[in-house]
Amino acid sequence: MLVRKIKEKLFLAAISIATFLTILPLFHILFSVFANGLPVLMRGGIDFVTETLAPPDSELGGIGPAIVGSFVLTFLASLIGLPIAVLTGVYAAEYPNSPIGKAVKTLLLIMMEFPTILVGLFVMNILVLPMGRYSAISGAFALAIVMMPYVAVYTEQALKEIPFVYREGAFALGLKRAVVVFKIMMSMARKGMITGILIGIAKVAGETAPLLFTAGGSARIYFAGLDQPIGAIPLLIYTLVQQPYENYHQIAWGASLVLMLIFLAIFLPLRLSIKEVKL
Amino acid sequence: MTADKFKLSLLPIASTVFGIFILMLIVFFSASLPIIQKEGLAIYTTNVWKAVEEGEEFYGVLSAIYGSIYTSVAAILIALPLSIGFAVFVMDYAPKKLKELLIIATDMMAGLPTILYGIWGAFVLVPILRDYIMKPLYEHLSFIPFFSYPPITGYSYLSAGVLLAIMVTPFASAIIREAYRMIPKAYREGAYALGLTRYEATKTLLGYIKPAIMAGILLAFGRAIGETVAVSLVVGNTFNIHPSLFAPGYTISSLIANQFGNAFIYEYMPSTLFASGLALFLIGLVVNITGLLVLRRWRYAR
Repeated sequence: MLVRKIKEKLFLAAISIATFLTILPLFHILFSVFANGLPVLMRGGIDFVTETLAPPDSELGGIGPAIVGSFVLTFLASLIGLPIAVLTGVYAAEYPNSPIGKAVKTLLLIMMEFPTILVGLFVMNILVLPMGRYSAISGAFALAIVMMPYVAVYTEQALKEIPFVYREGAFALGLKRAVVVFKIMMSMARKGMITGILIGIAKVAGETAPLLFTAGGSARIYFAGLDQPIGAIPLLIYTLVQQPYENYHQIAWGASLVLMLIFLAIFLPLRLSIKEVKL
Repeated sequence: MTADKFKLSLLPIASTVFGIFILMLIVFFSASLPIIQKEGLAIYTTNVWKAVEEGEEFYGVLSAIYGSIYTSVAAILIALPLSIGFAVFVMDYAPKKLKELLIIATDMMAGLPTILYGIWGAFVLVPILRDYIMKPLYEHLSFIPFFSYPPITGYSYLSAGVLLAIMVTPFASAIIREAYRMIPKAYREGAYALGLTRYEATKTLLGYIKPAIMAGILLAFGRAIGETVAVSLVVGNTFNIHPSLFAPGYTISSLIANQFGNAFIYEYMPSTLFASGLALFLIGLVVNITGLLVLRRWRYAR
């Protein structure tokens, strides 16, 4: 009996340690980003979020172009990806037993796990090479592909959770299928769908890999047109971390804090208003 | 109801996803073709990187494939006990408030932009691992092959493995937690009724969700192997095949991220990188599909 009791205690200790180790990095990351980024933001002031990048080994300058770029890219990606994603989700929810409906569902789950660098490579091949240069539209297209499966899967789940009697009732009133889905089902599933859309947006706003060879990056020009290279905050951080200059590392920490605040601003209200999030 | 016009009108849009996926496969196959025609399978089985503008180029990306698998396996070995422990603690032991907070924390980790893991890994984690883990192990145990490489910079397979483990643990534990929650209450009651301690009961119940744990491992492996920016900032980016955890190396995705920028100066390098992307594509596809299948079969079997 004693052995069993000791085992019991050891077990509790082991899983407590595992739990601690699992979430410790999160707090260390949050702390590090704040501790390193906040002084940079304080020193740079408002200029840090509006100005352009300073030369190596000098002042801070700012990350304005990257912030503008991130917003433009996320907006464009939503414009391209959301309609397709929502309608795909509707299809999968409406026809779950048709061969295509089943296949769509499976493919969406596979695409959710797909390495995003490959999406970037793909878009590079079909858009950047023919155009002859990196561009905002290529970056947005790559992000749209990354975003689609998340939004589609959430839409599908939200629609499926509505009790079947509502659908029966709507059909019994003689409504057409399109009306049932778009007017009745969607307004009932609104919350779940908005969650999915926001998660998709939060996801792509923080993505780096798909942008590496599509958006091109831009630290000095805010916006030059849809067919021109554009910056993004994650992309800028990735580039700056690899530079040997001290001031660039500081700017990278500052940019990380900005990115983290944007992420928290989307994620926290979202997460606190619903029960579970699947990322 | 008339023949489903609604279904027909949605069909082209629902097929877009297929179109993109198939087009991707075609693009990766066709773009890899030049180098495969030139070198055959040697592209995957040798470790050479002869990038020259004049004369014979030759590429073999074995070191990247090795590094991808090595770092992902290391990540899984660390993540597995953590994610099971976390899932059990959250479901069985944590009081309700703490449980909420813990789940919010891991959800946040799963969604945190990966570049934040990257900058933290490069500037914070790597020095810690180098000074407190790698150096002592190297000094005292360097006769063991795993610890046989002098940790000078700290950028290594181990750093990548640890960072990946941190990133995939929340994801794996969410899958395990979900499965653990689905175990019928009667099983647990039965276990306690037999007089089992909580440890013994948990062990029995975990045996019951073994397939879900397996699926969690596979899907986490798929995530780890595809991760790019965080890994490329800590893995060292060196063409290297070394048994030591402390040696720098490459992974497929970090190779692509690192070399693609200047690849077009060389005739065969773009094709080489697409070929390595193809390998990642196929490995990822097999691992993820297996993971999803295991999970689905387990859910149906219940």
